[in-house]
Amino acid sequence: MKRLLILLTILAMVAAACGDDSGTETTEAGDQPATTAADTQDPLEVPETTEGDGGGDVIDIDFWVAFSDEARLGFSEEKAAAFNAKHPEYNVEVTSFASYNDAFDAAVLAVDSGEPPEIIHFFEAATRQALDAVDASGNPIFKSVTEAIGGRSEILGEPVVLDDVVDAARNYYTVDGSFYSMPWNTSTTVMFNNMDILNAAGITEPPATWGEVEAACEAIAALADGPDACITWPNHSWFVEQSMGQQGELLANNDNGRSDRATEVFLTSDGMLNYINWWKGLSDAGYYTYTGLQRDWDGTSNAYLAEEVAMLIYSSSDTTFFDTNAGFTNQASYMPRNEDVDYVGNLIGGATLWMLDGMDAAQEDGALAFLNFFSNPENAAEWHQITGYIPITKTAEALLVDEGWYDESPNSKVASDQLADAANTPASLGALIGNFVGIRDVITGAIEDILVNDVDVAERLAQANEEANRSLTEYELLYGDG
Amino acid sequence: MLIIGLVVAALAGFGFVHLVLERRNPIRYGVGSVAAVAGAAVTPIAMGQCGFALETTGVDHLLAYGLMAAGAWVALVVVRSFFERRDGITDDSEAFAGEIRSGGYRMGWWVPWVLLAPTLVILIVFLYTPAIQTFTLSTRLTRLGAPRSVDVCFGNFTELLVGEPWRLVAYPLVAIGLVYGARFWRTRTSFGTWSRRAADIASIGAAFSVFIALYAMFSPGGGGNVDFRSVYLVTVIISVGIVVVGMALGLAVAYLAYRSLRGGSVYRTLLIWPYAISPAVAGVLFFMIFDPTAGIFTHAMESWFGIDVPNYRESTLLAQTAIILASAWKILGYNILFYLAGFQSVSIDQVEAAVIDGASPWQRFLKVVWPGLSPITFFLLVTNLTYAFFEIYATIEFMTRGAPAGDTSVAIYEIIRVGVNNGDLGRGAAQSVLLFIAVIGVTLWQFRTSGRRVTYGGA
Repeated sequence: MKRLLILLTILAMVAAACGDDSGTETTEAGDQPATTAADTQDPLEVPETTEGDGGGDVIDIDFWVAFSDEARLGFSEEKAAAFNAKHPEYNVEVTSFASYNDAFDAAVLAVDSGEPPEIIHFFEAATRQALDAVDASGNPIFKSVTEAIGGRSEILGEPVVLDDVVDAARNYYTVDGSFYSMPWNTSTTVMFNNMDILNAAGITEPPATWGEVEAACEAIAALADGPDACITWPNHSWFVEQSMGQQGELLANNDNGRSDRATEVFLTSDGMLNYINWWKGLSDAGYYTYTGLQRDWDGTSNAYLAEEVAMLIYSSSDTTFFDTNAGFTNQASYMPRNEDVDYVGNLIGGATLWMLDGMDAAQEDGALAFLNFFSNPENAAEWHQITGYIPITKTAEALLVDEGWYDESPNSKVASDQLADAANTPASLGALIGNFVGIRDVITGAIEDILVNDVDVAERLAQANEEANRSLTEYELLYGDG
Repeated sequence: MLIIGLVVAALAGFGFVHLVLERRNPIRYGVGSVAAVAGAAVTPIAMGQCGFALETTGVDHLLAYGLMAAGAWVALVVVRSFFERRDGITDDSEAFAGEIRSGGYRMGWWVPWVLLAPTLVILIVFLYTPAIQTFTLSTRLTRLGAPRSVDVCFGNFTELLVGEPWRLVAYPLVAIGLVYGARFWRTRTSFGTWSRRAADIASIGAAFSVFIALYAMFSPGGGGNVDFRSVYLVTVIISVGIVVVGMALGLAVAYLAYRSLRGGSVYRTLLIWPYAISPAVAGVLFFMIFDPTAGIFTHAMESWFGIDVPNYRESTLLAQTAIILASAWKILGYNILFYLAGFQSVSIDQVEAAVIDGASPWQRFLKVVWPGLSPITFFLLVTNLTYAFFEIYATIEFMTRGAPAGDTSVAIYEIIRVGVNNGDLGRGAAQSVLLFIAVIGVTLWQFRTSGRRVTYGGA
């Protein structure tokens, strides 16, 4: 009996050891639909030195990617392999992380322990945070890509494509006149429409304004065999930021943190109230369906594909996915706007590739050559085609036009068109704010409260505003110039 | 103000020696006072007396005094054990230690230390150092990769507490008063009378008053501060739910599975399987069952019975129930495992005697089996509660992300959200210090209450 007890205890311990690793992930990016089942590699397992195929001295370049799904991680690995084949003196090694924040935190810690990666993938909302990050001795962690290129037009035979980057991304990521990071996955918010349902309800064109969305939802609700709800989108702060851009409303002071560091955020502006009230109105009328999870990319996308809603406001990054997987006529259109104010412009979302400081010349050139190879016209065009992220350079865009890609899949053009229509103002560029990740959580938390509980919109936003501003003030206390 | 605290500590040390030690002399009084002052001075010196700085509030002073009192208390406990050992008063554990000392290790005093070294090194590197760093971090405003950090003293703690110092003093005193009052009343009543029953009910009420007092001591939020009362309440509801549901179901299933049937070992093994699953997978599984769009249960209810199942994440009750079910299910196998083992230690003779005396199965269970299981139950209570406090982050992350509006955001979820996801290391550390204190408090309380009723069988 005693033996059995001991045996059971051992079994329990073994089981405990197996059950303890709780792999979790959160997705913070504006444009990155959450992916499940991320098998994140341990960064420590990445070999620092590799015996190259050629047998000579091979320079390792660690490339940390915050994607873990087959398509996007697969693309990164494939292009790294292609680069290694072309430049046998280098070995670009891709490591996957579950989220941008995981990759970033690991990179900051790796810098302090002396074994940092060379390139990391980090998202737009944390641009301020990346610029501010320093190592233990107070030096910035990242090096400006523009500065490192130093005006060269090709590096190790790879043409420099940084000057060719499309305006929307260029304007967003240019800080103090310089590109600190190399744009990669860049998208914007678009609406996907189930035209079968819309046509059945007598609507021939996707709704373009808030009022048209309401009218369409009314018509769809009147259908005998219509869907349960009409529209959905993730409760993600990125959509709020997009709406502020559309309405020309600043989210932060000092021109959205672009003329100087942002020290105050505005969550109680008219634009904000308009948007949240419209959202709540749709929800109260039963037109908008809330999945009940913040930052829920999967749930909203499933609801659209399952035809539980007729319209989905989403990231353009999944255009190809919806085109392939929708069992109905899927049409992309601009994100609906407020018809009562003049349209200013939508902004981008996505991530860029940051280069860490402190490499020797040969390694740095290798990293730069890889960055430019990674987004060369052919690769950028392919990246666009497999995902729906916009072609990041003008040459890539021209290449796609020549190929006739847009005639074949017109939905893929909507994102680029919407960004091209945007005015170049601080409001439509989007904000650069310290601790933006935390502030985004404050925003989505308030919206969830508003959607689920019957709380006053203005009061709840005022509370969120106080919370967000305290968070920003504290951030500035640690990082600001003062 | 610091001086006042130190003077009080000196007096307390004097009084302690007077009340506790059997043999007293001027030196001992002096040692007691000095030790108390030294103990009380540790935290103000370590923290640079920041708790008494000009711009601090009453709550800061209270916390500073509280830490001084704790330091003095620890010092006095050491003083007591030192003098009692000199006086030859030892308790059981001392006798046990003496027995060990009289045995082996004649090679020298350092041999046991060398043998312990591997364990100690691991404990220091992976447990004590991070724990001390957590305490240090909890007094700072800091972020990963920040060029500087700011000393905020007790700021991270005071914002989790209610603003008025008198509440922080009065509420716990009232609650403790009620608990001891009820206990005193109970000793004055005799078994079987109506007054005993009333006193029993009062005891339960008094225990509840402790929960309520704690609730009232936390910050109600506002002014940019987190509503920590809500975090506390959610943590209590979900943890108690997991422990009660998990252990009750575990006991029930184990009771059924204990009977010898054909293939018993196979299904007993199968019952234990859920425990080998990680909390994240448990979250995904229950998400796949109850999700309003993709859920199997929801789909079945709709297509077979035409019942429109509401979205569990939009209702506080349903969301909390879902988290409790998923987490309790995950630990169910563990509870079954230990209860199965526990049943084997229940004396068959006693059960047979009860049968002969004509006890019904229910009576046999309640009066013989259940008391026999008390060591296992007590052990499971501690492990289940630890699990509910520390290991359900992933389950919540996959099922609700704290929805609706923070109603499933338990303390550990909040700590990771604030400290890791938002990168606010100081606040995260302060909250984990509170959770640490809570776990110590609950465990001590369990040892004092349940521990007394646990029977470990015969002599």
